[in-house]
Amino acid sequence: MGFRRNLVIRFSKWASNMSQKIRGGQGVTLPGYIARTLDHHILTSLSNDVRKKTFVVMGTNGKTTVNSILYHALAAEGEKVVINKTGSNMLNGVISAFVLATDKKGRLDADYACIEVDELAAMRVLPMLQPDYLVLTNIYRDQLDRFGEVDITFQKVKEAIEKAPKLTLLINGDDVLSYTLAQESKHDFMTYEINEQIFDDKSRSEIRESIFCRKCGHKLEYKFFHYGQLGDYTCPHCGLTRPAADFAAENIKLLGDGSSFDVQGRHFETASPAPYNIYNTLSAFSALRMAGIEAPHFEEMIANYDYANSRESQFEIAGTHLQIHLAKNPVGFQQKVSLVLRDEKPKDIIIMINDEYQDGEDVSWLWDVDFQYLENEHTSSIITAGKRGYDMQLRLKYEDIQSEVTLDMKNTIRDCIDHRTNNLYIIVNYTGLYSTNDLLKELADEYAGKEA
Amino acid sequence: MKLNIAHLYPDLLNLYGDRGNIQCFRKRLEWRGIECEVTQYLQGEEIDFSNIDIVLLGGGSDREQEIVCEELKKIKKGFQEYVADDGVVLAVCGGYQLLGKYYKTNTKKIEGLEILDIYTEWEPERLLRNIILESDLFATPVVGYENHGGRTYIGAHQPFGKVFYGLGNTGKGDYEGVVYKNVIATYLHGPLLPKNPHVCDYLLQKALCRKYGEDVTLAPLDDELEQKANHYIVARYSNKGNVLQETIKRHI
Repeated sequence: MGFRRNLVIRFSKWASNMSQKIRGGQGVTLPGYIARTLDHHILTSLSNDVRKKTFVVMGTNGKTTVNSILYHALAAEGEKVVINKTGSNMLNGVISAFVLATDKKGRLDADYACIEVDELAAMRVLPMLQPDYLVLTNIYRDQLDRFGEVDITFQKVKEAIEKAPKLTLLINGDDVLSYTLAQESKHDFMTYEINEQIFDDKSRSEIRESIFCRKCGHKLEYKFFHYGQLGDYTCPHCGLTRPAADFAAENIKLLGDGSSFDVQGRHFETASPAPYNIYNTLSAFSALRMAGIEAPHFEEMIANYDYANSRESQFEIAGTHLQIHLAKNPVGFQQKVSLVLRDEKPKDIIIMINDEYQDGEDVSWLWDVDFQYLENEHTSSIITAGKRGYDMQLRLKYEDIQSEVTLDMKNTIRDCIDHRTNNLYIIVNYTGLYSTNDLLKELADEYAGKEA
Repeated sequence: MKLNIAHLYPDLLNLYGDRGNIQCFRKRLEWRGIECEVTQYLQGEEIDFSNIDIVLLGGGSDREQEIVCEELKKIKKGFQEYVADDGVVLAVCGGYQLLGKYYKTNTKKIEGLEILDIYTEWEPERLLRNIILESDLFATPVVGYENHGGRTYIGAHQPFGKVFYGLGNTGKGDYEGVVYKNVIATYLHGPLLPKNPHVCDYLLQKALCRKYGEDVTLAPLDDELEQKANHYIVARYSNKGNVLQETIKRHI
């Protein structure tokens, strides 16, 4: 480790600190930008200092959760782990995570690194990071104004993987796109799958991606569907068939407040009733096993793992339960619709849709979500909000679902706390997540003040 | 009264909420007490155009369009006759390109239906943004979102609209889409119809008149919400400050 690197790291950290003080931001991308500008090899140099292995998690949905479970599992074994926790998954965010993890002398003391990487940023991140393992959760249609088409995402991920020759892949074998990608790459890969039907109709929109074989263009046949394009597929023309799983979740039980399942003779109990979290947990555990890590504390860690971590928060304000859910693309939104409906208590639902760059400027995808299930006897009211609140209300109108629109989130949430069912779900896309979280914190303080 | 709507190859051409256009046709007929039957035609199925009142040809990825291209060869003649006989068509994005002579991608040349005397050529820079059109057919602007790599050259055809904000057919910001007989072909997603109920009703009216005679008129609907959603986009890009701000954001 050179004197120059030390200097670059210290300066970047100082600048991040100053920026937080001045601008009040989280300072999670600036140090990466500065460090990279001053030293092009900084990421390679820092990641070389990781003593054991580097994991990268990619994929349209679930990567933050999978990465977080991996991190907690390794930490539970007493390992020191670098993670880009805050969902800052572009090049600057990844470099920042390493820079900020160094000690005062600019040294990195880490056994493992768990890094979530954006699919489009992967082209730049992977060659510099040279990770050992890649978990690819799935490839869905997402932010088409950014990714263009799902085929473009596929190509970019494939090109990025080719630039990291020592990588071993772990893919979701139920996803034909991921499987085709793994086959086309020259890398070794392993698969995880779910063989049981655990997803209900409400979590399964009719719209499916990639039901045509990428190899020969013929229509795939499915023995069963999970959701999205996930399921047990085979191509009647060229014979492409879902592979046998290296890791499979079995004996799955979904309960009101959690789930349990077995993988390779190990029994896991979790605190999440969401079926998609079986995939997330399974893939994290499989990644550990693939890397030859026994993880004897995984059972204990996962039983206490909070799936609703920083991204999806719950609040209790003046007797009202408030739950935020993030939904950024059709497949994810459909899963959230299904999850919200699993709660059979009376409820109010706010859907907030923004169209900033991070959200996707094109809101056409709202029409690929099946909203008709939302209106049932347990749904007391639906309120739409955000920059595209009218678009969202219009989407519901064309399912004959009544809703209100609000231009004032704060007062609407106050109204829900004071006068409605005391059970409020707020479904938001990306930028709404942070503003809504802040808003609920403010309201929590405000109501705490009233009671005092 | 009843209209039969044909959704062509929804398993291949289903990008960007295209089914919102179907839903819009369906509901705006239903709310007026007019029957509506939507038939999805999948790869390999025979299509009898004599029984169809509206055709929706949606958008797909370049790869999917190649697959569709083979299908189209089989229905080319029937489709051409349907359009010549004033059949109503809404073609969006990939569907728009396929109505022309060809679409030349970076690797292949995809043959089209040759219904419109237009052609499309792919360029690496994708044209992406909200778009607003002023169309001679309507008093209200048409709003949507464009997302295309192809540049479409429409020759002597009448465009669907003049671009008020956005990039349009060739990226130059002049004209967008094509109107030909009872065909509207356009790059606009959004999906197109829900925020532009005037476009939806225009097509419905054309289809009803073709089937039931010239004197069919559509009962008005309460479109306050549709107008608000439409106006939100128009207002946003009528404000020069906003336009400047978005332009700056796009370039940093």
